[in-house]
This record gives sequence, structure tokens and C-alpha cells, in this order.
Amino acid sequence: HGLNETKSEQRADLLPSIRLRHCCLLRNQRCVGAYLYDRLLRIRALRWEYGSVLPANVRFHMSAEELQWFTCYKKSLASFMRSLGGGGGLDVTQDMRPPKSLYIQVRCVKDHGELEIDDGTLVLLKKNSQHFLPRWKCEHLIRQGILEHVVH
Amino acid sequence: MFVTDIRKEFYEAVADQRVALLVASDIDALCACRILQALFQCDQVQYTLIPVAGWQDLGTAFLEHKDQFKYFVLINCGANVDLLELLQPDDDSIFFICDTHRPVDVVNVYNDTQIKLLIKQDDDLGVPSYDEIFRDDDEDEEGGDSGNESDEGTEPSGKRRRFDEGSVERRIERQREKREWEARRREILFDYEQYEYHGTSAAMMFFELAWVLTKDTKDMLWWAIIGLTDQWVHDKVTHMKYVTDIATMQRHVSRHNHRNEDEENSLSIDCMRISFEYDLRLTLYQHWSLYESISNSCYTCCHFKLWTLNGQKKLQEFLADMGLPLKQVRQKFTSMDMSIKENLREVIEESSNKYGMKDIRIQTFGVHFGFKNRFLASDMVHATTALLESTEKDENETDNFIKALDSLSRSNLERLHSGMDLAKKKLIAIQQTVASCICTNLILSQGPFLYCYLMEGTPDVKLFSKPMALTLLSKYLLRAFIQSTRNKRCRLLPLIMAAPKDVEKGTVLVVGIPPESETSDKKNFFGRAFEKAAESTSSRTLHDHFDTSIIELKTEDRSKFLDALITLLS
Repeated sequence: HGLNETKSEQRADLLPSIRLRHCCLLRNQRCVGAYLYDRLLRIRALRWEYGSVLPANVRFHMSAEELQWFTCYKKSLASFMRSLGGGGGLDVTQDMRPPKSLYIQVRCVKDHGELEIDDGTLVLLKKNSQHFLPRWKCEHLIRQGILEHVVH
Repeated sequence: MFVTDIRKEFYEAVADQRVALLVASDIDALCACRILQALFQCDQVQYTLIPVAGWQDLGTAFLEHKDQFKYFVLINCGANVDLLELLQPDDDSIFFICDTHRPVDVVNVYNDTQIKLLIKQDDDLGVPSYDEIFRDDDEDEEGGDSGNESDEGTEPSGKRRRFDEGSVERRIERQREKREWEARRREILFDYEQYEYHGTSAAMMFFELAWVLTKDTKDMLWWAIIGLTDQWVHDKVTHMKYVTDIATMQRHVSRHNHRNEDEENSLSIDCMRISFEYDLRLTLYQHWSLYESISNSCYTCCHFKLWTLNGQKKLQEFLADMGLPLKQVRQKFTSMDMSIKENLREVIEESSNKYGMKDIRIQTFGVHFGFKNRFLASDMVHATTALLESTEKDENETDNFIKALDSLSRSNLERLHSGMDLAKKKLIAIQQTVASCICTNLILSQGPFLYCYLMEGTPDVKLFSKPMALTLLSKYLLRAFIQSTRNKRCRLLPLIMAAPKDVEKGTVLVVGIPPESETSDKKNFFGRAFEKAAESTSSRTLHDHFDTSIIELKTEDRSKFLDALITLLS
């Protein structure tokens, strides 16, 4: 029974139950909204954690709309970053914490193959090899667990 | 070629490049590597560190990385073989070799472009001069002669005959000269390459580089000392050389110690202090009990002959003579009474003199940081070696290399302590094996050398499938044998030891060490001997280790290989 029908039929005794259901629906809507919003915030955080390409197991748990939202967010962040630094662009996703040194010593935990660094040369990341590389090249690999930062 | 100015020719050349470090598996190399890593970190030189255990590893590592790097630094590997022949690099690869293995291959010495040796041109290198080994071919002269002959063809026959005779004589003379030169060259090279030995520690070389750059720190100094001590513990250098190098290090230690300490600004207890110690030759005694250390140190064990009942009695007498109660001596060193620990070194030295042990004390260095942490350089060497050659399950060689490398940092004390525990187990195993070999007469004299084979079921034989552990065992065994045998001739013989290496593949590890004597120059001829014996019997051997006196051999080929060696060396 819709609210209007109830009013028109003078069935005032149904009003409370309708109101109750309505409140419940509104509450559920708020919960779902909060849940979806929380997911959105997490997906946004993923961009800062994983970079612009998400691993397959994460993408598996996202809906198509969420993926679309992610792409839009990525684009918007990219255009923001491009506009910084007097048009030269600045990657603000690097160095989230103030770095202690430009180069860090890393140890390879799993075989990863070749990594290309800035001057075009390649570094072979073989298990148990140690390297001294620029920090910005290693950060995402450290996050992925392929490299391990060696502290002495 | 030898590098004369290590700063300009090496460091400044690589400072703005990316470098590949190929590091061998011994403690001196690890220490040298740490010093170099610290320098590179200081100057932000990008590098990749690759551990190599033998020639095959070196070849593989080079192939994998040759497209990515132009500069290669080889630590404790590569000097004693024709490196360009082995690796076949491109013309723009440059190799910096800091290696203690001698003799340095002559091709490495005389190559001006690609090989740079970070080795001091000491007097004892004895490299043959260029003209004695290399000679431009005489083809021009020969061609000239035949040219003359054909030219003279137009001349009257009388003249031609004269010219022919003259040129034929000259050719014969030249050929004879060439043969003589070649015979002399073979002799010179044979003499030069016959004996294998070790030169100045690689860690000390890199420390000197750090000093020249005024970037040396106490950590680097300590690593250099550990590298030098490794050469002493594993008996790679003569006593004279060790003492000379200790004096060099002592100058650096005094320099560092005078820098910071004075009356007002004494250093915090947590800072690292290195001190010169004239300390006892008892392995790991400060981290063990005195009794166990005496029972398991090669020097004391061999002098007392602790594998005999008489020896055990003498040890008890010795302890009683010093007034040390057994209860004290058997507990952990750190828990011994202070009154006993106070003059311990002098008391032990006095008593040892009575028992015929004149050099119970040896010059070394110790480090001390924090309230609990005191280590002697030899403690560090034993601990790190045990980690490097650990035979625990599920550990491959590179894992061990990384663990051993880490244990050299002051922040990794648990790793160091676990290394010391492994070292204690290894020492106990060595002494027990030595005792059983001597008591069961497992050491046989084969004529020109002594031979001992550890069978598969021997306890702890797995520990001895590693080269350094087996070499240490051989040295201890030889010293013990010399003390226990009555045969005067046998005391001057070298020793060959074999132990099972890989049960599945059916191979044994064979190690040859030179004879033991007070004035030994530690020169080892087994490298060449093993090569020749393997060739002549076509035994299946693997000469993979950087020390040519350590090889892997198929178990079935053992007897024919030995027979060939006996014939070769008689």
C-alpha cells in the first residue's frame, strides 16, 4: 500500500508500518551508500599504493562501475600532476615519506627478470642478488615484495 | 696491468658508472665487498652484487650481466687465470680485479686495455718480464728471405747459390734461437705458475682506497682487520706477512683511536672501539668456556695431544698448575670469577711456556661496543665462515652468502651469535674427527704425500663437504699427525684429504695442503699436480674452485687419480 493510497483510502492504521518500512529502507540505503563510499575511498587509496596498474586479484573484486571510476580518478590525478611544476609535471605519488637517501640498497627476493632504469640500461633482478639503485625505481617493487630494502 | 693510483684509475673511473661486483665466497672477499659497498653508498655509485662460488658461477654471472654493465669488479677471483680467454668479453668491458690468489696470470699482467689489477706490485710477485714470454713473430724476416731468393733467381747461378746458403743458414739459426727461447719460456712459466699462494688481503686493499679517499670509518677498519685475520685463521699467509700487515693495521687503529678520545669528550659506551690485543690463541674462548676452548683449539689440542689419555691428564695438570679450579674453567667465560679473569692471559702464557707452547699469544685486534659486546677478530672470522658454509637444510649457497654478509654489520648481532654457535659445533666436529683419524690410523703415507679419506658414514662428514671446512680440518689434522707420529720423514710431507661432497652425484671433494713447518712459505703445488693427474688418467674432475688445490672428483676415479699423483710426485 503506497502512502497516497493509504491516505486516500483513510487507512490511517497502516501509516506507522509504512513509515517504519520507509525508515528501514532509508537506513539500508544509507548503509549501502556508506559501504559504496568506503569502497570508493579504498579504491582511491589503491592508486596511491599500487600505481596506475592494479594487480589482477584486486581488479577481480571490483565492479565494472568501480573500474570506470578508477580510470576517471587516474586520469584526473594524472592531469593534476601534469599541471604542477610549471607545466613540467611532478609525480606526487613518489616519496610519500621524506626519503633519507637518493639511492638505496635492495636485495632481490624473487626472480623478476629485467628492470629498466632511467638511462635505458637494464638491471637483471635475480633471486638473492643485491643492488644499489635509485629509490624511485625501487619503491613500487619493494611494495610488491619483489625487492627488499637492506638496512645496515 | 697493475693499477698504480687506485683512486684515479679505479675509483674515479667507476664513480659515475654502474658497476657489477662479482664476489668470491670467502671472508676476506666479503669484508672487501662491504668496504666497497660502503664507499659506493657514500658516493652513490649504482652497483649490482653477485656472489660467485667458482669458475662456472663466474662465467654464468658474466654472461647474464655483460649486456648491462661495462665495468666489472672481481673480488678474490679472476687473477690466476687468463680472464679474457675464459669469459670472451666484448672489447669495451673493463675488469678490475682485486684478488689474493697468486701467481697472477701473465696475460692479465700484460694486458693494457681490459684488465686492471688492484694488486700491489710487491717484490714477491716475481712476474717474468715481457720479453721472456711474449715475442712478435719473425714472419717478416722469413718472408724477406724467400723474397730475396726469388729476386736472386734472375742473377747468375753462382751468386744465387751463395745467397741461398747464407739465407738458409740464417733461417736455421733463427729457428734454433726460437726453439731455445720457447724452451726457456716454458721453463720460466712453469716455475712461475708451479706454486699457488696468497698475497695481501683484498679487504686491506679496499681499506687503503678508503683511506686515500679519506672516507675510511671504524667499520671499514674493522672489516679490513677481519679480512686480514681470515687469511691467518685459514693459514693462507706466512706468519711474517701476517705480522707485517698487523703492524700496518695498528697504525690505522691508533689513528682512529686518537681522533675522538680525550679527557672531556670521551666516547659513549655504544660507540665502536677497536683495540690492539696480544691475546690468546684459544678459539672463541670469550664466548665459550675456557675448558672447551682449550680442548677444541688446534694449537693447544695438538700440543697436549688431547686425543690420548696422557694428553687429557696433562691438560688437568696444566689447569692445576695455573691454579684454575675445574668448576670455574668449565663454566661460561663471562661468568668466571673476575679475580681469575684479571690476569688470565699472563698466567696462561707463563704456564704454557712451561709446557712447550711458546706462542700461545698472538697479535690481533678486538672490538668493543655496548656493555656486552666484545669480539676478537678471529671470533668474527670463525662465526662468519660457519654461516657461509652452513650445511643446514634448505639453504643454498647464495642464501648463506647473504647471511654471512649481513652478520658483519653491528646491527645483526643475533646472526653473529648463531654463527658462533655453528662455529663451535664445527670446531668440536673437527677435533673429534682429528682424534678418530689419528687413533684409527686413517692417515696413510703414500710416498710423496700423506693421504686421508673420510668415509661416508663418518659423523659430521656433511660439514666437510665444504672447501674451507675441509681445508681447516686438513690443517689441524696435519699438525696433529706431526705431533703424534714418530716417523721423521712423514713430518715433512704434504697432505691430501678427501671427503664425500655429493652423495647423489657420487663425488668427493679433494684438498691438498703443503707440508707444515715453522718456516713454511705456504706455497701449494697441488693445483698443477691435480690438473696433470686428472689429464693423464682422464678422471672426471671439476676444477671449479678458485683455489686450484681444491677439486671435485668422481668417487670411482679416486684410486687411479691417486696412483697418477703418486707417480707424478715421486
